[in-house]
Amino acid sequence: MKISVRSLLTGVLLVLVLVTVVFFLKHRRVTSAKPLPVPAGVGHYAAFPKVAGPETAPVKLVVYSDFECPSCRLAQGLLAAIFKDYPGKIQLTYKHFPLTSHHWSIYAHQAAECMQVQGKFWPYHDKLYEKQPEWAASKVPPAEMFAQYARDLGADMNLFSGCLTDVAVTRGIYAEKEEGAKRQVGATPTFFLGDERFVGPREMKEKGVNAIRKVLGLPEIPVPVTPEPAAAVPPAAQKKEILPPSKT
Amino acid sequence: MKEKSYKVLFLGRIFVGLIFAYSGFIKLMEPVENFRGAMAAYDVIPSAVIPLLSQVIPWAEFIFGIFLVIGYLPRISAGVLAGLSWSFVILVLITRIATGSLPVNCGCFGEGSLIHLKPLQVVFLDIFNTLIGVKLALTKDHPFGLSSVLK
Repeated sequence: MKISVRSLLTGVLLVLVLVTVVFFLKHRRVTSAKPLPVPAGVGHYAAFPKVAGPETAPVKLVVYSDFECPSCRLAQGLLAAIFKDYPGKIQLTYKHFPLTSHHWSIYAHQAAECMQVQGKFWPYHDKLYEKQPEWAASKVPPAEMFAQYARDLGADMNLFSGCLTDVAVTRGIYAEKEEGAKRQVGATPTFFLGDERFVGPREMKEKGVNAIRKVLGLPEIPVPVTPEPAAAVPPAAQKKEILPPSKT
Repeated sequence: MKEKSYKVLFLGRIFVGLIFAYSGFIKLMEPVENFRGAMAAYDVIPSAVIPLLSQVIPWAEFIFGIFLVIGYLPRISAGVLAGLSWSFVILVLITRIATGSLPVNCGCFGEGSLIHLKPLQVVFLDIFNTLIGVKLALTKDHPFGLSSVLK
């Protein structure tokens, strides 16, 4: 197939134009993100920071996660291992990122945020991931399952039930998701270590752990050639609860 | 090929070109780590090649998708896109055989996309794309395109 010089030059020009357009649009997208105006009614509730680990920890991880996301469930084993392998060195902040493609996700996030109000977020978080195959497969909103998990953890059920229908709490969750969207979070789990991002449990394991070790001044661990089989979800990880500040 | 008989194939060319141009564009608008993470969800892809593929594939999809739409180097563009389509079909089949499961999201369109398809849905789409792509690649003349103007 012969390609004339004119045709070749046209191709080069086309590629240059396309590349320029992409870079221009991408740059514009990144720099034009402005804070959204606060919708009416959301001022009296902001999702509490859900932080595990000491404030003095040198490694500050942020994770945008979805309770109904199977990859997020897989990542729990990795996070438990990280906390275990580097005790006292890791601080993890959980951020809500319910995916719209997951039907019961927002219910789970609402329930979890309501447990955060009672200082029981992390045990409830672990319970939700542990029981994910059950409640995610439900044909109806798994409200009763979520209530049972809360009961099992000794929650004040009056407070819990009232909170479940609080629209302000829902708005607070979506505000956290919007924050993630502005950081171009597109999939869950997405981990941030400073400005570095790791998407999915495999990336976190293969690159994120070494990034953590770099912060801690430790040598890198070689990346396995083939991924190891997915680990089973561990029992509730031993995360130290940090009590939320008062409602604003 | 006569213009009259090319009309149906032309629609196929536009469809395949637009699908890939959109797919590539969405991936390029997002951080590369998003697509890298989507690729990493397929355990059979070796870690060493993921960084390179995650950079190259979105550009290939976008550029050759646009080329196919405007009819520039249509045979080459169709061949490349047919190759990409078939590669994904093979990837899904191998992943299914090797691991017994598939990632929940195919990762094909980027999470910021309006289109969210599961891997098996994309398999059928990509089989269709492969067939159209191969037909286009084997067709010598492509009227209604830039290449025919540049001749």
